[in-house]
Formats: sequence, structure tokens, C-alpha cells
Amino acid sequence: MSLNPMHQFEVYKLGPEINFGGVNLSYTNASLFMTISAGLILSLLFFGTKKKLLIPSKIQLITEMSYTFVAKMINDTAGSSARSFFPFIFTLFMFVLFCNMVGMLPYSFTVTSHIIVTFALAMIVFVGVTIIGFVKHGIKYLELFVPKGVPIVLLPLIIIIEIISYLSRPVSLSVRLFANMMAGHTMLKVFGGFVISLGLLGGWLPLGFSIALTGLEILVAFLQAYVFAILTCIYLNDALNLHH
Amino acid sequence: MKNLKEISTRLEIAKKKIEKNKKKIESSNAASLGKALKISTELVASVVVGSIIGFILDSWFDTKPLLTICFFFMGVAAGITNVIRSAKRMQKNN
Repeated sequence: MSLNPMHQFEVYKLGPEINFGGVNLSYTNASLFMTISAGLILSLLFFGTKKKLLIPSKIQLITEMSYTFVAKMINDTAGSSARSFFPFIFTLFMFVLFCNMVGMLPYSFTVTSHIIVTFALAMIVFVGVTIIGFVKHGIKYLELFVPKGVPIVLLPLIIIIEIISYLSRPVSLSVRLFANMMAGHTMLKVFGGFVISLGLLGGWLPLGFSIALTGLEILVAFLQAYVFAILTCIYLNDALNLHH
Repeated sequence: MKNLKEISTRLEIAKKKIEKNKKKIESSNAASLGKALKISTELVASVVVGSIIGFILDSWFDTKPLLTICFFFMGVAAGITNVIRSAKRMQKNN
């Protein structure tokens, strides 16, 4: 094992290289950990809803809690009209949460610490929300870029600013998640490296730090999944109810 | 009876403690950390997106530094409006 803190982010192929029409579709360690996360979510939901007890078992309790958590979040931020998008937001939240949490296990790989993954997720949200807005409101959706009560002289400038702020949504959404995960894991690795290089004499202080940081990272992992989902709800709200 | 009174006062004290803790949790570092990260990325992302748009338009129209500079400042403005908006949203939620 190298002490290089960036070594953990390396993507490598597992199995043979698959080229499909010039696109590299090889199964990598990133794909493996995405599969693991998806499998964990599926098994949690499967076993949580298998035996429907009146007094829930622990696993049923976790499933029900995650359901009510997301349902409440959607109701609070996007209103009841967004309830039909529950499956999408629930999937998004659980996927990001499980990818972050699986990444916290030793020897695992954090999928969300790669900007291409988070950017793809953010682009799904961005394109989806834009399509929903245009389907629901038609050409009137462009009113989003024209705030009320702005003098006509300033309007061209304001419209450009609004368009930039609209286009910056997927960037801020993806960069936030990616930067948090990457910075946290790099920091953990750096402190872990200090423990080894300082040895028995001075290694105790960085060891304590890395334990504290692990706690913080678990919190950040949850928080970032929550922020990702809640911002999706807010964008959805903008698309569904134009006057905000 | 005496015992019951004692228990009720104890219960009240315990409830007050729980409420205190709840308030602490609500305004804990975690929530503030999340908010801070959210706002800072919002500011930066708009600036980056604005600059990129300016750069692309520049290479279309061959006006090398001009539009990049203009759109950089527009990006800053967009970032600040974003930050103000999310700050207002936070105030409304509190």
C-alpha cells in the first residue's frame, strides 16, 4: 500500500476490457461499488417490507424511517404536487447515501468522490427538471428567467444573470458532493499516513484525529445525500410551481 | 402522594433538559457546516459557469478577452443572487 493519499481514488478495470462502439464499457471498481450499493438498498427494502409487522422489526423500522424521511422532505419543500416524483427522489437519496456510506468502510472505494459520477446524477436532475418545467408550463416556463418588478432597462442584464444562475445549478450540485467526499477521504488518508510514519511514539495524536474525522465523515456522508435530495426537491418546486 | 409529586417535578426537569438538548442539536455545527458548504459552492459554481460561457462565446466571435471578462462579472452577480436567495430560504425555514 502506498502512502499517497490520492491512490484510493484510482479507477481500475476488473475483468476484460469491453469496447462498445468506441466507448469503453469495462467493469471497473467504481461499477463494482455502485452495484454493491444498489444491491444493499434493494436487499434492505426487500427484507424491510417482507414481513409487515404491526410492531416493526429493526430492519422494517429503518425502511419505514427512510420512507417517511424522504416523504416529509418532499412535502415540506416541494409541496404535495411533487408527490408523484417520490420514487425518483427516494432512489436518488438512497443511492447517494449508500455510495457515501459504503465508501466509509475500510478498503472500499467511494464512487461519489469522482466528479463524473456526481455530475451525471446532477445532469439527470437538471435535464429532468427542465423537461418537467417545459411540459407543465410550455413556453411560459421561460418566465423563470424574468423576475417581477424589474425595470426594462435592466432586463437584458438580469436575464443573462438568471440564465447563468440556472445553468450553475448542476455544477454546484455536483461539485458540492464530489468536493466534500474527496476532501474528507483525502484528509482521512493523510492522517492515517501520519500514524504510520510517526510510529509508536507520536502516532497517537493523528490516530485520535482520524477517529474523530471518521465520525465527521459519516455525518458529512449523510448530510451531503440529504442536501443533494433537498436541492432536487427545491428545483422541482421551481419547475412545478412557477411563482415562488 | 409525596412520591408522585417528586416524580412529576423530576419529569419536568428531564423534559426541560431534553428541550435544551434539542435546541442545541438544531443549531449544532453539523447543520451550519452543511449550510456553509452549500452557500460557498453556489457562489463559486456561478462564477465558473459564467466564465466558461464567456470563454466559449469568445472563441465563437473572436473577441478574445472581452466577453470572458464581461461574463465573469455576470457570473459573480449570479452567484451573489444565488447566495442571497438561499439565505432568504434558510431564514424562512427557521
